[in-house]
Amino acid sequence: MDLPGPIHDFLLVFLGSGLILGGLGVVLLTNPIYSTFSLGLVLVCISLFYILSNSHFVVAAQLLIYVGAINVVILFAVMFINGSEYYKDFNLLTIGMALLRWFVQIIWTTRSNQIIEQDLISNSQQIGIHLATDFFLPFEFISIILLVALIGAIAVARQ
Amino acid sequence: MFLLYEYDIFWAFLIISSAIPILAFLISGVLTLIRKDPEKLSSYESGIEPMGDAWLQFRIRYYMFALVFVVFYVEMVFLYPWAMSFDVLGVLVFIEAFIFVLILIVGSVYAWRKGALEWS
Repeated sequence: MDLPGPIHDFLLVFLGSGLILGGLGVVLLTNPIYSTFSLGLVLVCISLFYILSNSHFVVAAQLLIYVGAINVVILFAVMFINGSEYYKDFNLLTIGMALLRWFVQIIWTTRSNQIIEQDLISNSQQIGIHLATDFFLPFEFISIILLVALIGAIAVARQ
Repeated sequence: MFLLYEYDIFWAFLIISSAIPILAFLISGVLTLIRKDPEKLSSYESGIEPMGDAWLQFRIRYYMFALVFVVFYVEMVFLYPWAMSFDVLGVLVFIEAFIFVLILIVGSVYAWRKGALEWS
């Protein structure tokens, strides 16, 4: 089951350009809330890149964790900034187009030659099995870490 | 390097569900008459002249809700692969996941008693 070439290229170019635009948006936009939304675009593009590596659970997990949790927390932290203190002028920096073209060329020509086999059980099932048997103790420690984070953050935010 | 053929229906669904709002806006934009005058473009404030800034001050209770949401969201992401492989795992793993959820219920009770979930 080899990769359909044009689809791989199309996704690469599409996500890559989304990524670069989003990155520029994060850095160059004046309103920090617009920057945060641009960061959301960057994280979505990064997560969709994992489709090209045939790891679908990572796509979903990255979308859920990065965009759904981390970006939301960043957004709420940014909301505390007062509106009157934004940076007013928009400096358009010059971008090295040769450097950009070089990066695109590197990414374009890098692809693996493997033939993909389909597993009997899907990615998320494999991860679930490993999490429950091999990594059972880290699984429980994760719950304790989440508990500590919750209690700590509530204790700090209540002051 | 990915198995596209499994996701035919998904891509078709994605393309159609992206096309429908775009089409809706395009058609209504073409069919209607858009006239911009300053009265139409100003924001509505119950019939009076708008005064002050539109942005309210951010209150801490919004942040508390987002915080509790994020912690339980991450917990949900960990429960998802467990749920996917539930049929091949035994009773012991069920107990383990139960302990996982129980520890986080302790956290939820703490958040509740400390007033992080108060809205008013």
